[in-house]
Order: sequence, then structure tokens, then C-alpha cells
Amino acid sequence: MAAKPRSIRIGRAHIQVLVYVTVCIAVFLLPSFIDNDFLLNRIARYLVLSILAMALALSWGYAGILNLGQALSFGLGSYCMAMALKLRTVPVHTGAEGLPDFMVWNNIETLPLFWQPFYSLTFAIIAGLLVPALCAAVLGWFMFRGRITGVYVAIITLAALVVGNLLIIDQQPYTGGFNGITDLAQLELFGFEFDAYSSSTYYLVASGLSISLLTALAITRSKTGLILQAIRDQENRVRFFGYDVAAYQNFAFSVSAAIAGLAGMLYTVVMEFASPTFLGVPLSLAVVIWVAVGGRQSLLGAMLGAILVAGMQGALSESETFLDTWTLIMGAMFVLVVLFLPKGLAGLVDIVRDRIAGARGRPVDDEESAGDGAAAKTAGAAQ
Amino acid sequence: MDIVLQQLITGLGIAAVLLLVALGLAIIYGTMGVINLAHGEFVMLGAYGAWVLNAYFGLGLLASLPLVFLGVAILGWLVEKGVIRHLYERPLDTILATWGIGVMLQQIVRLTAGGELRYVQMPAALGHSTTILGVDVSAYRVFIFLTVVVLFAVTWLLMYRTTLGMKLRAIVQDRSIANCFGINSGRVFGLTFAYGAGLAGLAGALVAPLKSVSPEMGTGYVVDAFFVVVLGGVQSLFGTVGSAFLLGELTGVIAYIRNDTIAKALVLLAIVVLIRFRPQGLFAVRVRS
Repeated sequence: MAAKPRSIRIGRAHIQVLVYVTVCIAVFLLPSFIDNDFLLNRIARYLVLSILAMALALSWGYAGILNLGQALSFGLGSYCMAMALKLRTVPVHTGAEGLPDFMVWNNIETLPLFWQPFYSLTFAIIAGLLVPALCAAVLGWFMFRGRITGVYVAIITLAALVVGNLLIIDQQPYTGGFNGITDLAQLELFGFEFDAYSSSTYYLVASGLSISLLTALAITRSKTGLILQAIRDQENRVRFFGYDVAAYQNFAFSVSAAIAGLAGMLYTVVMEFASPTFLGVPLSLAVVIWVAVGGRQSLLGAMLGAILVAGMQGALSESETFLDTWTLIMGAMFVLVVLFLPKGLAGLVDIVRDRIAGARGRPVDDEESAGDGAAAKTAGAAQ
Repeated sequence: MDIVLQQLITGLGIAAVLLLVALGLAIIYGTMGVINLAHGEFVMLGAYGAWVLNAYFGLGLLASLPLVFLGVAILGWLVEKGVIRHLYERPLDTILATWGIGVMLQQIVRLTAGGELRYVQMPAALGHSTTILGVDVSAYRVFIFLTVVVLFAVTWLLMYRTTLGMKLRAIVQDRSIANCFGINSGRVFGLTFAYGAGLAGLAGALVAPLKSVSPEMGTGYVVDAFFVVVLGGVQSLFGTVGSAFLLGELTGVIAYIRNDTIAKALVLLAIVVLIRFRPQGLFAVRVRS
């Protein structure tokens, strides 16, 4: 009998991996049922946003770092891709001697030094991952070494986001300012052309989604993931065990930023432009909503939250009657979720499962979820 | 010399508005630990309150102030009873819930009053400008400055010289012990939140003539006010004054040397660095946690 709970837990782990892989496969199979390039582009867009939400769930749900500046990483990734694609447009679009058009309008004579390496697409893609990750690592080093937690992390990341946004808008000659970077060339990788309105781009997004989701899953299931959750619940106890808490937090924070950067790059490919709104406060807070609605402690839940909320927003804001009331509904939904479903929609799954288990007369919880509940309580008190 | 004085007074003007908005937030955050992101929307509602009373009931700005205070305070009380009350165990979630409330308030105003800019008239008696130490200052700015001083004094008296304030401070020290002594902490928190919200409403009504009134106006204020409170030290009223003064002058000076955007970015960076090294704020008082 003693071995039974253990076998259940292993079973659950297998089921989780199975569910995640199934979702990835389903995402890949979707285009065979959809014959509409416009719709496919729309879906690809929501999938990209769901990657962004998943990145936040990794740092917020698993490591307890409420990053209100998630959009900063997203925007940086997006701009890296946009810069490379801008330099690949036909010279007609890019002003004299291959200079991007907005630079010509701002009387810039030569290509700025930091734009030069973006002639190489490989460099741009690496930069799209590394620039956000490095920025996050520096900020994280700054915060976590000083044992900044909870609300102050939220404030600092929000401030960093606002600073980034202000600078990009202010440095118009180098970044395109308010207008962002538009008129981009199509992405070409390994001889494939990625037209935003074709299934090729969709598959690119689906690959990005699968890779980042499975990477994140691997992290959460590893020992590091366990320590991260322990830090979320009781930071000091982990510290007393001799773990370098700041290093673990910084790891989660930077990986999350890199994934957000990847999402940003994909977003540029899907939307065909980069704009300062990609690193705006509204988007950054919207991501927090998606994750809260979907379930901050479930990668898949966060993704579903993003697709549901952003998708509903997209669908409802098209019809006249809902255009105005949508925001109202979203606000109300958000308040209700925070009040009644602190674990989001993914928490519903747990509740239903426990109900079924309870109805069968079996002990409702095994060790794992009982520990979760208690841990969540102490975490709440500690914050 | 003139420029320095001019800058100092401009900075004081910015600081007065900052303090006005931050005072209510400081009380709510400092005593209840609730991060009220809907504060900006309370400010916005105050401004709209002044506009409605002016445009439909012909009330002057000064006459509408008590009504605005009362109206927004009642709304704040309702919000505390309906939502915040359930979240004292989860402070980080108050950020999320109050943000949701803010979004709703903003949208309700947009649906009822329309999204276009509204204008509130300055009281006729304060429309002129006066000269202080050889610098021209609008009389209305001086009026705001004096009002802030009065409001601060009232708040201080309320906190440190009334029974309600004493009960509140007892709850901040230890809520369960305070309950044991027969203090109704739920009621005190409700009133505190209402008072903070009312102050935000007053702030909105007072700044309405300086800027145009729009549903989005609150967002900018809440971020600035929040930084003032964090910088000043969470439980210190005088700290809030000090940091409002500091931020106001700093913004004024940098904006004069460079431009507004750079000023804002630099001030934010300075705050980030400050939080890192003094999370308890510049002027923190020691309290039992």
C-alpha cells in the first residue's frame, strides 16, 4: 500500500508530459483543418502571445517573480528581428544607399554602429534571444543580490519597462520612434520564405512554441524547477539550506526573458512590423491578466489564458455592440478570477479532479497537492 | 539667480500636485499594505465629478469639492467592502484586483461621459497670477499649494490625534491583538480606504482646471504617486512630503536641462537604484512587522 501514492505521482508526471506533447502536436496539425490564410495568421498571432504568457508563468508562477516588465523582453526581441528584416528590404523602401527610410527622414547620414551587425540574420536571431536575457540578467543581478522581493520586484521591473519604452520613443533617428519599424522584408531561413499570411509562418510559430514550451516544462520538472518553487514558497528556508537563491531567481528571470524575446521575434514576423507598443505598459499588464486567468502555476494554463482572453478580445472588439463593453467585461472577469480562482482556470482542473477523487471515497489529496496548498498559504503570508 | 528661483517654484508646483495625489495612496498603502492601482481612477473620477457638478448643476469648483470628496470616498468604501477585504492575506493580488477595478471604472466613465476631453473652469477669483519673490506664479498654483498644506495637516491630525487614527495605528502594529481589544479592524480599514479614496477624488478635482479631463488621465498619476510613496518610506507621512518635494524638484531641474522624456527616464532610474539600496524608503520610520 505504501508504494501506491508514489505510483500515482509518477503516473501524473507521465500524463503531464503526454498532455504537453499532445498540445504541441495538435498545434502542428491545426493548419490541415484551416484553409484560410487570414485566419491562420490570426491564430499564429495568438500563439505567439501565448508563448509570452508562458514565459511569465515560468518566472511568476514557478519562481514567484512578478515581472510587470515582461513586455520589455518581448519588445527587445521584436526590435532585433525588425532591424534585421528592415536592412533586407529592397533599397527602394530603405532610402539612399540602403539606409532605413526613417533614418533618412531624420537626417542620419550613415548607418549607426549598433545597426551594422544586423545585416546578418544569424546575429539578429541570437541577439533576439541574448539581448533580453542579458538585460534581464543584469537587472536580476541588481535586484536579487539585494534580496529584493515581492512588490518591489514588480515596481522595479515596471520602471525598467517604462524607461525602455521612453528611450525607444525618444531616440527616433535610431529606432523609428512612435512609428516603430515598418515596411519589413520577409524572413528567409534555410531557403524558406516566411510570408506572414501563409502556413509556413504558422509552422515557424508552432515550432517556436513547441521548443519553448517543452524547454520550460523540462526546467519546471528538473531539480532546479523544484528549488525555484521552494524559493517561491519559503525563500529563507532555501537560503538556509545553502542554495544560492539569487542565482536561481536570476536563472528563471533570464530564461523567461529569452523566451519572451523569442516570442517578440516571432511577433515581428507575424505582424510584419515592430512598434513601441510592443514594450508598452498596457501589453505588459495584459500578459499578467492572461496568466492570472489561465493559471499562474501551469505553463499550459497560462497559454490557454492568453489564447482565450486575447482571442475573445479580438473576436468581441470586432462586433459593434461589444467594442466598448469588452474592456468592462475583462476588468470584471479579472477581479472575479483574482477573488475566487487564485490559481486561474488551471486551478479548476485541480478542483474538479479532487472532487472526483473525493466522490470515490479515496483520500482527496496526495502529499504533493496538499503541500502545494500549504505552501501557497505561507507564500501569501510571506509576501 | 532668477532662473534658480523660477526652477525652485516650478518644482514646488509639481511637488504639490504629486503630494496631493500621493497622500491618499500613502495612507492606504502605508497602513493597510494594499497597493491600490485604482487610485489613478479615483483621481479621474474626482475630476469628472467636478466637471459634472460644474456643467450640469452650475456649481463652482470650490463648492463642489466637499461633494466630490464624499462621493469618491463612498465609492472607495464600497470597493473595500466588496473586493479588497477578501485580499488582505494576499497583498500581491491586490495589485491585480485593483487594476481590474481601475480598468472597469475607466471604461464605465468612457461609456457614460464619452472619451473626449473635458475642461473644468478655474475659479474666477484665482485666474490671475501673483508675484512671489519676483517670480510670476499663477494664483491657482498657490491655492493648490496651500490646500495641500491644509490637507496634510488634517491627515496628520486624523492619524495622530483622533481615536480613529489611534485604532488604525494599533491595527498596523498588530491586527489580531487590536481585534482582541475590541477594535473593529474591518470598520477602521473601510473608513481608512474611503478617506484615502476621497483624498484622491479631491486631488482629481483640484488638478482638473490645470489639465484636460479624460478617462485615461489617472494612469500617469498613479505611477508617479506610487513612486513618491515608495521613495518616501511606506509608513511615514512626512517621508511622503519629503519625497514629493525631491521628485518634483528633480523632475523640474532635469526637464530644464534636457527634455521631459529624459527627465522621466532618469528619475525612474534613480528610483530603481534607491529601492535597491533602501527598500524601506528614504525617510522610513521603524515599525514592528
